[in-house]
Amino acid sequence: MIKPALLAAAALALPACSTLGSGESGYSAFAPVRVHRVSVGDGSLIVTPPRPYNRFRSISWEDIREVEDWTLNGPYLDGISFVTGLKSDRYLIRQRRTASQQVPKFRANMTPPEIAEMLESFFRVRGGAVDFRTLGIQPRAFLGQPGFQFDYEHLDGDELWRKGRVVGAIVNGRLYLVLFDAARSHYYNAVLPDFEAIVASAELRRS
Amino acid sequence: MCGRCLEISRRSLLVGGGVAAAALSTGVAQARVLPRDMVPLVGPGYRPTEKDEKGIWQLMDRAEEEISGSNLLIEDPKLTGYLRDLIGTVGGPAAKDFRIYLAHVPDFNAMMFPTGFAVVFSGLLLRMRNEAQLAGVIAHEAGHFLRRHQIRSWRDQKRKTDILAFASMLAGVGGAAGGVYLGDYVQLAQLGTLLTLFSYSRAMEAEADAMGIKLIAEAGYDPRQMPTVWQQLIGEEAASARYRRKRRQKGSLFDTHPSPDSRLADLRLSAAEVTVPGKLYNDYRARYLGVLGPFRQTLLEDQVKLNDPGASQYLINTLAQDGWNGLLRFYEGEIWRLRNRPGDEERAAQSYAAAVLYADAPADAYRWHGIQLLKAGRTGEAKAAFARYLTMKPNAPDAAWVRQMVS
Repeated sequence: MIKPALLAAAALALPACSTLGSGESGYSAFAPVRVHRVSVGDGSLIVTPPRPYNRFRSISWEDIREVEDWTLNGPYLDGISFVTGLKSDRYLIRQRRTASQQVPKFRANMTPPEIAEMLESFFRVRGGAVDFRTLGIQPRAFLGQPGFQFDYEHLDGDELWRKGRVVGAIVNGRLYLVLFDAARSHYYNAVLPDFEAIVASAELRRS
Repeated sequence: MCGRCLEISRRSLLVGGGVAAAALSTGVAQARVLPRDMVPLVGPGYRPTEKDEKGIWQLMDRAEEEISGSNLLIEDPKLTGYLRDLIGTVGGPAAKDFRIYLAHVPDFNAMMFPTGFAVVFSGLLLRMRNEAQLAGVIAHEAGHFLRRHQIRSWRDQKRKTDILAFASMLAGVGGAAGGVYLGDYVQLAQLGTLLTLFSYSRAMEAEADAMGIKLIAEAGYDPRQMPTVWQQLIGEEAASARYRRKRRQKGSLFDTHPSPDSRLADLRLSAAEVTVPGKLYNDYRARYLGVLGPFRQTLLEDQVKLNDPGASQYLINTLAQDGWNGLLRFYEGEIWRLRNRPGDEERAAQSYAAAVLYADAPADAYRWHGIQLLKAGRTGEAKAAFARYLTMKPNAPDAAWVRQMVS
């Protein structure tokens, strides 16, 4: 089933990429991220990973500039996604105007429960989730702004329970968030400290 | 002489041949299958005797083991017991042998496997307005088993692909020997085979419809409810397509099922045929709604959060024909909120305000009502709504955020 990475195109392309293999043609959909300050998404957010990570290389026009996905063990097991500077009235992913089921737009006047539901819709419409449970929405400071933390878990069509945490804030009418989604069995707890370290290191580019 | 004049261009061959193959396989619309012709081909306690069918059963038994252990299943004993009783009523001679599983998937679908176990999706339960409609769908699936469709289909498929493989081989050998390229004819033959396989599948779906309506009429369910299911589905698809400004897909040669429109037409005629004048038929709506009970909220949530406003609105309006209540008004509001077109925030706010007037409004209605009031600047009323939410759900997942709003 489709793994709910925010980069839907990359998730769909994953089987194709794995058959290509890096041994035969030297091509891989992943690029390494080293342990230093790195800007993500559209460049307005800077984070420092605590260990080397892998990021999805943006190769197709289907990618949204403001969204970037990282993974440690592969997108089916864990993933950290960054949404940086998403403007009001924009979508998290590209979708056809005629698609019957659609992920809702982001609006700058959204409250945290509304942002949480936008993400829930993303998982249900694009991520193949058949059951989605909100575990918590609470206030949390992010990037020096009063933001929120959203905890959830979901059961996907591939029968795997995944658990996730989102920390985000709306800064000058734009959405910034870091989303962590991993298999509930082992991987969530194992990678959560990395996520918290990345969130703690997050800063806005001063420009 | 003009030696090239007799050569057919490759393109015209493929196009022309494709059209001919398609025309052959559709021809006139397939004649309606008559319910009275539908006799069960299996009895109680059926077991296969032929080798190919035994093989299929072995595979399917393994599939059933996996499916019965899947965590996509809903195991609520009230619901599963109800479904078991239902298939026991309309299952014909094999009623006692069927197994039925309910999967938590928000689509309208149900399927029967060759060994007599069926899987029903939760999206189906949302769309059925009464027990007769659900019985119709389940009887249709039972019909597949009673008419041995799966093994017939398997054998038909094997026969046709064997013929195709043999013919392709001959074409390759003969063509090579004769110095003629026959690859395009092979491609056409492949297309033709595929089309006849799909056509055979559509015929069997029509048989299952006819068998199904016969079974439910015999069990005392109102047979006219079965075509109504298709009417509702057509309405839903049309509403969904209309909202996205596209045409509803009317059907293609590659469909494994007849189009909902033709099923509706055929079932209407069949319903009239199987109705015994003077017999009392029922749709058991109250019983069905009673069994669904609180599960209905989960079904509505699964559907509405897919953000297909046309379809969701159609479904809510259909359910509201039996009367609006807090639950339906709340989910109506959710449809607008997720749709989020200009003006939808106000519409959602109105629906939430209406929802909280009912006694059965879910706790979430108060929270969303509060959020809309907050955005409208009516802070005092918003805090009251949030307070009510916290009273109803003190351990709500977002209680921390709501408390911050209240303070």
